[in-house]
Amino acid sequence: MSEPVDNAKRFTKTPSVVRKERNEKIAQFVFLSMTLAMVLPLVLIVGFLVFKAWPSLSLDFIFDMPRNGMREGGIWPAFLGTLYLVIISLMIAAPIGVMAAVYLNEYAKDNWLTRTINLAVINLAGVPSIVHALFGLGAFVYAAKMGTSIIAASLTLAVMTLPVIIASTKEALSAVPMSFRQASWNMGVSRWQTIWRIVLPNSISGILTGIILQVSRAAGETAPIMFTGAVISVNIAKDQLFAYGLTDECMALAMHLYTISTQIPNVPESLQFAIAVALLGVVLMVNALSISLRVYLRTHRKW
Amino acid sequence: MVASTAKLKVEDLKVAYGDKQVIHGISYEIPPNEIFGVIGPAQSGKTSMLRVINRTIDFTPNAKVSGKIEIDGEDAFRIKDVYGYRRRIGMVAPLPVGLPLTIYDNVAFAPRSFGMKDKGELDALVQKCLEQAALWDEVKDRLNSLGTKLSGGQQQRLTIARALSHQPEVLCLDEFSIAIDPVTTMKIEDVLKELRESMTIILVTNLVQQARRLAKRTMFLLNGELVEEGDTEKMFSGDADNPKTNEFVSGAFG
Repeated sequence: MSEPVDNAKRFTKTPSVVRKERNEKIAQFVFLSMTLAMVLPLVLIVGFLVFKAWPSLSLDFIFDMPRNGMREGGIWPAFLGTLYLVIISLMIAAPIGVMAAVYLNEYAKDNWLTRTINLAVINLAGVPSIVHALFGLGAFVYAAKMGTSIIAASLTLAVMTLPVIIASTKEALSAVPMSFRQASWNMGVSRWQTIWRIVLPNSISGILTGIILQVSRAAGETAPIMFTGAVISVNIAKDQLFAYGLTDECMALAMHLYTISTQIPNVPESLQFAIAVALLGVVLMVNALSISLRVYLRTHRKW
Repeated sequence: MVASTAKLKVEDLKVAYGDKQVIHGISYEIPPNEIFGVIGPAQSGKTSMLRVINRTIDFTPNAKVSGKIEIDGEDAFRIKDVYGYRRRIGMVAPLPVGLPLTIYDNVAFAPRSFGMKDKGELDALVQKCLEQAALWDEVKDRLNSLGTKLSGGQQQRLTIARALSHQPEVLCLDEFSIAIDPVTTMKIEDVLKELRESMTIILVTNLVQQARRLAKRTMFLLNGELVEEGDTEKMFSGDADNPKTNEFVSGAFG
């Protein structure tokens, strides 16, 4: 017969266990506080904006024309202009970017040309937006004779967002395991069918996320559209969704905010904040569109 | 053996990746409806050999292949329709790969990709392949759930069903049992014995006993060279021609 085991003693925490548990708690606390530290400014900023903008905020504010030298009234031309710019530039940049990334990731051989292109994409992604603006001015406004217009500004924004879309799409594509492709090739399925039916469905979430991130950039940048299509003030038909033509000049929220904050005296403070809230709203709106597309794709195809 | 009766004939096959020679000229013949065992330690060129046989090595940019492979007397490297050719070869990889599709779509993937659309025809084919892979009874009630949710052994049988879905003439199994349990392995081995009636099987395996159980003839590869090829019983009973073979099968190295 062996001695009965003293359970109380057996389960006493050794110093090493105590230390481990304490470290575990500290680590959890640090990570949690970092997460909160990230959320807090966001809540504060949005709350502050809405609070300051409250006197001017209403549905009319969005659908009304600016009045009294932009000191009163709404922001309809700028709101619609930003929507145009964001959607048209994405319609240009997203397909080109995704297709280029598919080529680079799935087809391109690893040679000096591919490496040069990859290097160029990464460097282009880091070019400041004002440089893109000058390129757009030279290439689209003057050389292509588009003049300052929505199409020239959209193309400039597309050029600006393209490299980032290519890079993020490539990242999403290369996250699809190689074994999926090999399994598909082994069955005599062609490269293109493999991409269409295996690779793209499995990376569409990542691809769309990359594109969504570019929405806010396209909506928020002032520099690229300043010389290429956006103007301080323009008159359009009220309550009409297709009030702008492709070759028209337009107003844009980011530009509008800049104008009334720096160029026009005696503007009520709440108006500036209301424009900021509207800009945030446009970004969220386009994002919501992309996210619902993502959810739709996910539920309607099982993978 | 007369050349024309061989299902698959490999002549002086050499493979290099860049400067690294991985297969140094091997030749062998496999008659139809036979299980042909291939044994050898890691880095002996077994997988590369299979990738040459189904020509997916074309996807590796720096691979250099020379030599000749004949299937039914036809030069495999000269066949123009490479996708059609790959369908004549079934391939099962070492680790099970459930494509992120439903069980049904996993098996119907290849037939659909070359144009089979008729629902009834597809249903029948999917059922036949899953039955052949000894998986039908386990999954027949949940064909629409994800293939990736199956257990490892089931996924490997799903992989086999998928390889059968394009009705290959030659089935290549690359160490199919390293990720699955012994019971499932035995199940699949029984499946292979039945499949032998309708196709030629190349069984690459690390389990010497498995080759002994299934293969009529076996080939021993070492560092990309063919050490010995012959009757399985002879090779495994300790009186192989080459002393290295005896050492390998008795577990002295490998």
